[in-house]
Amino acid sequence: MARWIIIAALGLALVIALGAAGCGQKADEPNTIRLVAWKFNNPGLWRRLADQFERQHPPLRVALEIGPHSSTSFHDLLTQKLKNRSAEVDVFLMDVIWPPEFASAGWALPLDQLFDAGQRKRFVPAALEAASWRGRVYGAPLYLTAGVLYYRRDLLERYRLPVPQTWPQLVSQAKLIVAQDKSGLAGYSGQFKQYEGLVCDMLEFIWSAQGRALGPQGERCVLDRPAALKAVRFVRDALIGTAAPRGVLAYQEPESLSLFAQGGAVFMRNWFYAWPILSDSKRSQVAGKVGLAPLPRFSGGESASCLGGWQVGLSAYSKKPAQALKLIKFLTSETVQRRLALEEGLAPTRAALYQDPWVLKAHPHFAKLAPVLAGARPRPRTPLYPAVSEVMQVYFHRAISDSDSDLPELAGRAVQDIDRLLGLARGQ
Amino acid sequence: MALTATRRGERLLAWGLLLPCLAAVCAFAFWPIVYSFVLSLHRIVLGLPGLGEPFIGLGNYARLLADPTARSSAAVTLVFVAVSTLLEVALGTLMALALDKSFRGRGLVRAAVLVPWAIPTVVASQMWRFILNDRYGLLNWLLFGDQVASYRAWLAEPGWALAAIISADVWKTSAFAALIVLAGLQTIPREINEAAALDGAGPWQRFRHLTLPLVLPALAVALVFRTMDAFRVFDLVFVMTQGGPANATNVLQFYGYKKMFAEGFMGYGSAVSVMVFVMVLAVSLLYLRLVGRRLLRGEER
Amino acid sequence: MRRGHLIAALAAGGFCLLALAPFAWLVLTSFKTQLEVTAIPPTPWPGGSLEFYRSALSRYGLMHFVLNSLIVAGGTTACTLCLGVGAAYALARLRMPGRPWLMGALLLVSMFPQISLAGPIWRMLQAAGWLNPYQGLIIPYVTLTLPLAVWILTSYFSELPRELEEAAMLDGCGRLGALVRVILPLAGPGVFTAAILVFIYAWNEFFFALLIMTRRAVQTLPVGIALFQGQFTMPWGEIAAASTVATAPLVALVFIFQRRIVSGLSAGAVKG
Repeated sequence: MARWIIIAALGLALVIALGAAGCGQKADEPNTIRLVAWKFNNPGLWRRLADQFERQHPPLRVALEIGPHSSTSFHDLLTQKLKNRSAEVDVFLMDVIWPPEFASAGWALPLDQLFDAGQRKRFVPAALEAASWRGRVYGAPLYLTAGVLYYRRDLLERYRLPVPQTWPQLVSQAKLIVAQDKSGLAGYSGQFKQYEGLVCDMLEFIWSAQGRALGPQGERCVLDRPAALKAVRFVRDALIGTAAPRGVLAYQEPESLSLFAQGGAVFMRNWFYAWPILSDSKRSQVAGKVGLAPLPRFSGGESASCLGGWQVGLSAYSKKPAQALKLIKFLTSETVQRRLALEEGLAPTRAALYQDPWVLKAHPHFAKLAPVLAGARPRPRTPLYPAVSEVMQVYFHRAISDSDSDLPELAGRAVQDIDRLLGLARGQ
Repeated sequence: MALTATRRGERLLAWGLLLPCLAAVCAFAFWPIVYSFVLSLHRIVLGLPGLGEPFIGLGNYARLLADPTARSSAAVTLVFVAVSTLLEVALGTLMALALDKSFRGRGLVRAAVLVPWAIPTVVASQMWRFILNDRYGLLNWLLFGDQVASYRAWLAEPGWALAAIISADVWKTSAFAALIVLAGLQTIPREINEAAALDGAGPWQRFRHLTLPLVLPALAVALVFRTMDAFRVFDLVFVMTQGGPANATNVLQFYGYKKMFAEGFMGYGSAVSVMVFVMVLAVSLLYLRLVGRRLLRGEER
Repeated sequence: MRRGHLIAALAAGGFCLLALAPFAWLVLTSFKTQLEVTAIPPTPWPGGSLEFYRSALSRYGLMHFVLNSLIVAGGTTACTLCLGVGAAYALARLRMPGRPWLMGALLLVSMFPQISLAGPIWRMLQAAGWLNPYQGLIIPYVTLTLPLAVWILTSYFSELPRELEEAAMLDGCGRLGALVRVILPLAGPGVFTAAILVFIYAWNEFFFALLIMTRRAVQTLPVGIALFQGQFTMPWGEIAAASTVATAPLVALVFIFQRRIVSGLSAGAVKG
C-alpha cells in the first residue's frame, strides 16, 4: 500500500514538473530590455531603478535577471550566454577587469557615442581607462571601489603614533602595538588566498615600490624586475607570518574583514565596502574606533591603490541595441549615480558627486575616497586577463607562502608564461 | 513456431523498454563527450576569436603532458582518490560492522550516519570552510581552547588543505560506502558466524575468513562507484580552496574548469576533461579485472 | 555476544557524534547574532537570536529555493524511475543480445566529467528553449542518475524468482502486465532505494544547476545558498540558517525511511 502511495506521489511530482515546465520562455518582446545583474544589498533597488527608467522612456520595459554576485560565477554565467550568442541578454554588468576580454571576443559593443570628449571629463579617469580597449570604451562605469588602509584610530592614539606613510613604518608600528597587547592581536589583515584578490593586494605593493606587472605598452611582463621582486620579498619576509598571521594566506575579503571587525587586527587593507560595516555596532566590535587612509608606499614610491568596481556593457548579440543604449546612459547618469551612492553606498563614477552635498551628508567618508580614486590604477589589460591573472596568483602565492622561495626563479617562470600568453594575444 | 514469435516479441519489448533510456543517455551523455573530444582536437581561445579554431590534432594532449601544472594536478587528484576512497571504504566497513549488530537506538544511529550524505555538497563545503577558519573556526577551538595564538590556518598550508578536502569528502560520503557494505553484511546468515564462534574462531579470524570474502562484492561496488566520483571531485574544491594554496588542491576537474570556463581555453580544457575520463576508465577497468576474478572465485565457493 | 554488542553500540555512537557534530555546530551558529558568529575565540552557545532565519527567509527568499529543489528533485526521480524500471526489466528478464555491453555503456556514463557535459548540454537546451523551465535541469539529471538507478534495479529484478511472472503470464497478462502487476509491487524496496538515491543526487547537485538555471525564480537550493555569498561578503549566519532549513526535511526523510533504504540495498547492490 505504502508503495503505491509513493509511486503516486512521484507521478504527481512528474506532472507538476512538466506542468511548471510549460510556463517557460515567454516570447521576446521588442520593447523589453534584458538586464543581467546581481542583487544589491538594498532590496528592491534594481526594481526601483527600472521603474524610474520605464517612466522616463515609455514604452520600454526592463526585465531583470539576477545572477550570483561572486565575480567568477557571474563571469561563467555571462560568458556561457555570450559565447553561444544568446539573444536573451541585452545589457549586462561587467567586472572592471573584463572589458578587454569581452571586447576582443566580440561580445561587447563599443559605447563611444555615450562618451564624447565632454562626457569623458566628468568621469573618474581610471574608470574609463579600465573600460577601454584599443582606444574605444566598452563598459559604462557603474560604480567604483579601490584598496584603502583601515586602521585602529584608538590604538594609534594610545601609543601616539601617526598614520603610517610607508610600509616599513606600518610594520614597525604594528610590531610595537602587538607587543604591548596580550590578547592575540594581529598586526595586519589582508587578502592573500590564491584568488583574484591576491593579485589586487600584491599589485598595490608592487606599484607602490615603483614596479609594474606589464611594461608600459602592455607588451611584456616585467615582474622579474628588482622593484617588483623587492615588494614581493617584503610581503614574504616582513608581513606574512610576522605582522600578519599566516592565516591570511587563506583569507578573502570576508575573513580579513571579520578579523579586523572583531578587534583582532591593528591595520587592514580592504575595499570601500568595509567602511559602513565597520561603523555599524551590530556588525563590528570596533565601531567608532576606525580610521581610513590611503595605502602606504615604499620610500621613493607613491601610494597606489588597485581599482575595482563594475561597469555596464552592451551585448553584441542584442536585437535592440538602440534601446539598450538608452538604459546604459540612464544607469550612468548623474541622478542614478547619486541614487546608488545614497541608497546602496556605492562610490560613484562621476567625479563631481564626490563634492555633492547630499552624498557627503549621507557618507562623509567619501571625501577621503576621492583622492584614493584619483590615484587608483586598473589591473593589466589584456584579452587573456583571466589566464594572466591565474599565472600571477600561483606565482604570488608560492612566493609569499614559502619563506625559502627562490623569488627570481619563480618570477622568471611566471614572466615566461605571461609573455607566452601576451604573444598569443598579439598574434591575432 | 510459437516460441520464435514469443522470442521476437520479447526482443521487441526489450528494445522498446530500453529505447527511451538509451536515447536520453546517448543524447545527453555520449554526444556531449564525443563533442568534447572533438573540441579537444582544436585550438579554441574564446577571448581571441581572430585566431580562428584550427584543428591541431593531438596538440592539446601533447601540451597537457608537458604542462607542469597539469602533471601536479594529476598527482593531487590521484592522491585524493587513493586516500579518500581507501578511508571511505575502511570507515564505511567499520560503520557497517557496528550497525549490523542490533542494539537499542540502532535506527537513530543509522539515520544520524546518513545525515552528512544528505546535506548538499556546497552546504557541507561552506560549513567546513567555516569550521576550519583560523580565528573563529570550531576545530581550532576544540584543539586549542581559548589560546588564539596557537590556532592554525588549516586551509593556508598546502598539506593541511589537501587533508581538509579529503576529510570533508570522507565525512560526507562514508555513509554511502557503509550502506552498501551493510547491505552485503545483511545477506550473510547469522548461523555461519555463530557456528564459527562456537568452533572457537576469534572475532578477527571470523571477519577475515568468513565475513570479508562474502562482503567483498559489496566492497567492490562501493569502491568502484566511490573511485569514479572521487576522480571527478569539484564542488569541494570550488567552495573550500579554489585550487589553492599554491595549487595544492588543484584537482584535474577543477583545473579543466578553470581553463574552459574562466580562461576561455575551450580546446585545452576539453582535453583535460577527456584525460579525467580516460583515467577513470582505466582505473575502473583495473578494478573490474581484479575484483571480477575474486567475484568468480567467491561464487564458486 | 553481549560484549560485542556493547562495543558495536559504542563505536556506532562515536560515528554518530562525528557525523552530527559539524552539522550541530551549523545549527547552533544559525541562532547566534552577527557578532557572535565570527567571534574570536568562538563562542559555543548562541545568544538565541532568530535574525538569521528572518533574514534568510525574507531577504534571501529561502522558501522558494526549497520549493524549486523539491520540484526538480521530484521530477527527476519520477522520470528516472519511469525510464529506469522499464530498462532494468528489459536487462534483467528479457533475453537480448549485448546485455553486458549495454550495462557497461551505462556505467560509462557515470565516468563522464561534468565539465565536459556542461557546455554541449547547455547548447542543446538553449536551442530547444529549455534553459530555464524545470525540464532544462531535470533532463541532465535524469541522464546522470539513470546508470545508478538501472544498475540497482537490474540487480534487484534479477533476484526475483521467475516463477512469479510465469504464473502471471499463464493467467493471461502479457509481459508488461506482469511487470506492473507482479514485479513492481515486489520490487518495492529496490525501487524505493533507487528513488532515494536519485532524489538525494538531484537535491545536492550544484554544477549544472548553477549553469543552466539562471532565473532566480527557478533556482534550486544549492545554487540559492551559494548565491547568498556577495562579492565581498560571506553571510555565515544566513547560510547556517538556510542550511538548517534546507537539510531538516532531508534528515526527517532519512530518519523515517532508513530501514527501507538499508533493506532496499540488501539484495540489490551486492550481486552487482
